[in-house]
Amino acid sequence: MARRVAVCAVAQTGFVSNMWQKRFQQMCFETVESIVKQTGVDWNEETGIRNIVTCSDDVFDARTISDNGITDAVGAHFRGEEKTAQDGINAIAYAMACIMSGHDDVVLVVGHTKESQTESRNMCSNLAFDPFYCRDLGLDFEKGAALQARAYALKSGISETQLAKAVVNARRNAAKNPLANARELVTVEQVVNSPMLCDPIRALHAYPVSDGAVAMLLAAEDKYKEYTDKPVWLTGWSNCMDSYFFGDRDLASNFSLKKASAAALKMAGVSDAKGAFDVVEINDAYAYQLAMWAEGLGLCDENKGGEWIESGILETGKINPSGGMLAGNPIMLGGLARAAEAVIQLRGEAGERQVAGAKRAVAQGTTGPAGQHQAVMILEN
Amino acid sequence: MAKYFDVSVEDIFNTMEARFRVEGAKGVNAVLAYDISGDGGGKWLVEVRDDSVKVAKTDDLSGFSVKTSADAETFVGVNIGKIDGTQAFMSGKIKIEGDMALVAASAKMFTRYSLPKKSAVTVQGIFDTLVARFQPQNAAGLDISVGYDITGEDGGQWTAVIKDGKCALETGLRDNCAVVNIVKAKDYIDLILGKLDPMVAMGAGRLKLKGDMNVAMQLPKIFAKFEPPKEEEEQELIVIKRNISVDMKYSTGPVMGKFFEGLIEKKILANKCPKCGRMQVPPREVCAECRCWAGDMIEVGPSGTITLIEIIYYSSPDPLTGETRETPYAQVHILLDGIGTEETFWHLLKNEDLADTKKGDRVRPVWSDKRVGSVHDIIHFERIRD
Amino acid sequence: MKKHKKNRNVAIIGIGQTHHSSHREDVNQPEMIHEAVERALKDAGIGIEDVDALVHGNMELFEMVHQPDLWHVIGTGGYGKACYRVTTGGTTGATIVGVGDNIVASGLHDIVMIIGFEKQQEGHTTGGITNMADPLWARNLQTGALTGATAEKTINEFGADRAKRAAMRLRVTLDKHASLNPHAHRNFGLDYDQIDDLMVNSPQLVGELRLIHMCSQSDGAVAIILACEEKAKKISKKPVWIRDHVTVHREETFNMFGINENQEVTHHNAARKLFGRNGITNPREYFDVFEMYDPSSWWGLDWLREFLQLEGDEHLKMVENDEVSINGSFPLNPSGGVISTNPIGATAALRVAEAALQVRGDAGAHQIPREVKHALASGFGGTFWTVLFMLEKDLDWQEAE
Repeated sequence: MARRVAVCAVAQTGFVSNMWQKRFQQMCFETVESIVKQTGVDWNEETGIRNIVTCSDDVFDARTISDNGITDAVGAHFRGEEKTAQDGINAIAYAMACIMSGHDDVVLVVGHTKESQTESRNMCSNLAFDPFYCRDLGLDFEKGAALQARAYALKSGISETQLAKAVVNARRNAAKNPLANARELVTVEQVVNSPMLCDPIRALHAYPVSDGAVAMLLAAEDKYKEYTDKPVWLTGWSNCMDSYFFGDRDLASNFSLKKASAAALKMAGVSDAKGAFDVVEINDAYAYQLAMWAEGLGLCDENKGGEWIESGILETGKINPSGGMLAGNPIMLGGLARAAEAVIQLRGEAGERQVAGAKRAVAQGTTGPAGQHQAVMILEN
Repeated sequence: MAKYFDVSVEDIFNTMEARFRVEGAKGVNAVLAYDISGDGGGKWLVEVRDDSVKVAKTDDLSGFSVKTSADAETFVGVNIGKIDGTQAFMSGKIKIEGDMALVAASAKMFTRYSLPKKSAVTVQGIFDTLVARFQPQNAAGLDISVGYDITGEDGGQWTAVIKDGKCALETGLRDNCAVVNIVKAKDYIDLILGKLDPMVAMGAGRLKLKGDMNVAMQLPKIFAKFEPPKEEEEQELIVIKRNISVDMKYSTGPVMGKFFEGLIEKKILANKCPKCGRMQVPPREVCAECRCWAGDMIEVGPSGTITLIEIIYYSSPDPLTGETRETPYAQVHILLDGIGTEETFWHLLKNEDLADTKKGDRVRPVWSDKRVGSVHDIIHFERIRD
Repeated sequence: MKKHKKNRNVAIIGIGQTHHSSHREDVNQPEMIHEAVERALKDAGIGIEDVDALVHGNMELFEMVHQPDLWHVIGTGGYGKACYRVTTGGTTGATIVGVGDNIVASGLHDIVMIIGFEKQQEGHTTGGITNMADPLWARNLQTGALTGATAEKTINEFGADRAKRAAMRLRVTLDKHASLNPHAHRNFGLDYDQIDDLMVNSPQLVGELRLIHMCSQSDGAVAIILACEEKAKKISKKPVWIRDHVTVHREETFNMFGINENQEVTHHNAARKLFGRNGITNPREYFDVFEMYDPSSWWGLDWLREFLQLEGDEHLKMVENDEVSINGSFPLNPSGGVISTNPIGATAALRVAEAALQVRGDAGAHQIPREVKHALASGFGGTFWTVLFMLEKDLDWQEAE
């Protein structure tokens, strides 16, 4: 059996729409400094950090080898460093694998993105499509989401009001999270009357342009005590890729999320997702995703995502206590920020938004258009 | 004339005017010289001027814009695509003198030389299908032999033996043929393909029939028409060309930002690590060695000593503008005065200093009049000669 | 450095590479990758259904495709599987093998396929590399990966004639190796009698770095299948064991040139750590073959010294005495190396793949003529970053204390 892996600390910059006063190097450095402060970890090659798993993207950073500019800030000078170019929840998972394999005892995870740096995040995500066909159709991650939102609404019958309630919940929780970007409260009326961004996605259905960085320290079960007395264990993990062409996919099927979720539950020894989690962090970049991903995660029955939103579960504060992706994390960091909130909750350090007695949490991350790649992580204290 | 891959050097030059592409030569005024050594070689001048071309064999190659030297085999091989031009150039089999960019441009000025197409249909090929083309329903009751005496290159003699509703082909001519067709190979192919009318051919004496004319008249019925094998056409693969650009705005932050502000004031600011004292220029927020914040700024230089000079002969386009720099030019690494011993400053050297500047020489920045806080606020560094 | 204890052993059980060329216009990106994937599966004797997870890597700005694994899934076979994407520049190919090694050893997945690819001709390679520089400063100055600094350093240390001759001799040797490798992108048919001519006549790029010294820009892909010990022994007759790997990166370097040449470079650092924790005291004796990521002959020459921890002019002598040739005592890059084939995201993975083929004895015409039990493979990228692999034929090594 591989060693268990504990998260010993997390650190996040606040998320804002334009962190113009800082280079991303500084953003990373600040989160890493916070980790050092919390844990006292050092970069001693025998006993401390000798490997760092980063997360960023060449297109959004407009740099070939985007991790090249942060090696000094994350302490990768004459150390190992490997960059995950997917949602950062995969960076946590790979760091976990580094420890489970025996290759490393302590691994630092650092992710950063400045969406504000680009003229348009949609121009960047348009480049994720093949250069001959889908790119020329004008597809990007937002258009992909709109097509999926339409397909999901047709299949499940989710209503405008239910979608609006997802946003209302996000803002209500974000208001209690000082790190969140979009913290202003909104009403159902405001959401349903907000202008159409990409039909059926309205302006308030979409996550705001965001900048930020997240760091996390992972250690093996025989090492964590040096860094924390409140370990959070990574007990379940999986990810899964769907096909590429929208015509090949059933956009409303949750194919990859269901598969990832089933494998993660199995690893954690959880038989039914319903009622299994005290804290749920769903990577809802667009409002419909709160409902659709909840179905995919098995938190409610098929086609019942809309009803689930109105079931009173949101009022418990257990669903996206951070405010979720809807409150604003940059692309690449959605799942990483979800897992970070799960850790904070399981450590009992979430302040005003703390879910009392939280023991087990699930965090989800997505990469690519319309949730093509889905990742699920289960954390326990 | 010596041939390489079935093509002579003369073939290449003799077709060059016909292969000229006006649209590929817009604005080009140049004399391309070729010095081709070895069997079949020679010297040629190709003058491209005002949307026209003149190709001439000559003894005098003076006055060229660019000269290409190669042995005949390499030259032909590259021109017909049998030898990789870049490889030949890199291994020294092709040498280029003068304006190298013209060599690349010439690929656009001329279409590639292609071998004259040979007919895919052969006499042998026609007879290989004869039995398969036999139509027994039109040969009921026939018991005859038909002879073919195909003369000239690629010719031969065959006899088709038809009996009991079957046809067998033999090589050679049987004595008992009812009729013998006598025709040159090339004409026979044309007859079979329908390019040559049989009556015309007979009238001109190019097709002779010996024996029973009536049998000859029935032959088109006894044998179905020959279908030439379809040439497999190479599929033209489409390549889509795109220029991708997304506007970016980069923060400079409080450390590098101060450095750029300094440049506007003609000052070069380094930052200093509070732990190890190492200085960095241009400054980065963090000292990698100590992994600590390094925000203290200290003015250094602006003069310094060259530690490394890199003379660039390959012109890389500026990724920000797409413009190509003129070569050669030099990048220099400079130990600025007051920086310590750890950190060099990277910039360009004034072109006029290129010839005689070396490691250890002293240099100073030449400032731009319009300073905005960018790398271009310093135009380049120049030698201090006093 | 302390040796870690691997949770379980990991072996390479399948290798597939495409035909590499300066332009693979006959295929699009997923189609090209599919060639490598099919060949790797065939080599391993398994189907895509047996693969549990994929690791994909390349550099996005070379082809200007954002997270290309999403599109490439139609060629990788990743549909319905766990998929990871990890990239680190030129080191990417080696990094993804390292990721595969860790993921399999961790117990998360039993069989993992790593895929490195690049279609250099679809973008501007030197421009793409230049884009790694800080946009505020060095991007205006850098010329891709081209530098004459190592040439100058070597010339200063050993004299112009000896240094230039050794670099060119290495170049010719590797060209001869490339001519034996049917997958190699280019070989020029060089011979040792051309050394004097090439030293003078090959066009200069930067200082004494000449066109002939520099690696190619290639289109190509490689896929490598890794398996845990239990499955590897079942599936493969000739599993090649990944004993250990190490990654050493460093700060963004735009200002180390021309000073403090005694500072340890990452290659030396990585080799020192890897050999130290595995008890290898004489790497030149221990390893039977070395597949080095050699972007230029000057670097290849200099880095022999760094990786093998040599003193003085030993590395020059190894080249001058043809020890590094395929028939020599320490064959270097029998595949022809990076100098002959360089689809950047795949390049470092090709080093591991070629080293593994040597261990298996399946390298064909470029198989070295004696048994290969221990192989070394390196990746290079970023701003002087290193990934270094040790491969073994048998699972019988002694763990260092």
